[in-house]
Amino acid sequence: MPLRAARIGRVGVVGAPVARAAVVAAAVTPGPSPVAKAAVVGAAVTPGRRRRI
Amino acid sequence: MTERTLDEMGPVDFLVIEFPAGQANFTGEIAEELVRLVDAGTIRLIDLIILTKDAEGEIDAMELEDLGELGPLVALESELAELLAAEDVAKLAVAMEPGSVAGVLVYENLWAAPFASAARRAGGQLIADGRIPTQAILASLEADDSLDTTGA
Repeated sequence: MPLRAARIGRVGVVGAPVARAAVVAAAVTPGPSPVAKAAVVGAAVTPGRRRRI
Repeated sequence: MTERTLDEMGPVDFLVIEFPAGQANFTGEIAEELVRLVDAGTIRLIDLIILTKDAEGEIDAMELEDLGELGPLVALESELAELLAAEDVAKLAVAMEPGSVAGVLVYENLWAAPFASAARRAGGQLIADGRIPTQAILASLEADDSLDTTGA
């Protein structure tokens, strides 16, 4: 189906062809222990984890 | 949308959400959550289009109104600004796999606007932003664990 006329010939706002991102769900859904992985990631972004510099 | 100055605008992001061939399971839940985010004032939906890429890589774009039954999205359709141009569609579709369908959303982060305004009033300027993939967090944690184990 065609795009609306207002979209044709206009200058775009997306700077460059978009690179495909890694599929986020892959890190937390498949695999032997998805729940454990999700918990680990959750813990990493929870206050209280100390930074190692 | 009420008239706002550029200084009061929140950052605008886009998402391309792909549904690989044979894996789409549309129950209306996505639309309901999107409407909820808008109603809560978390985001303002600026644009939404549906892209399909066939097995040969041919792209087709559908406007929201082309979908027919919009359900809860009816409330949002009239507010869309059609920001994306045809050339944007081509650039966004590069990320898609052949045979997939994708929803493209452009939205303003209304939740961030007051904070951004305050930062600007204080003389601050945004010099970098980005997203940290979950995989990167996981990799960092695993590397930490490895250091702890080896004592390196």
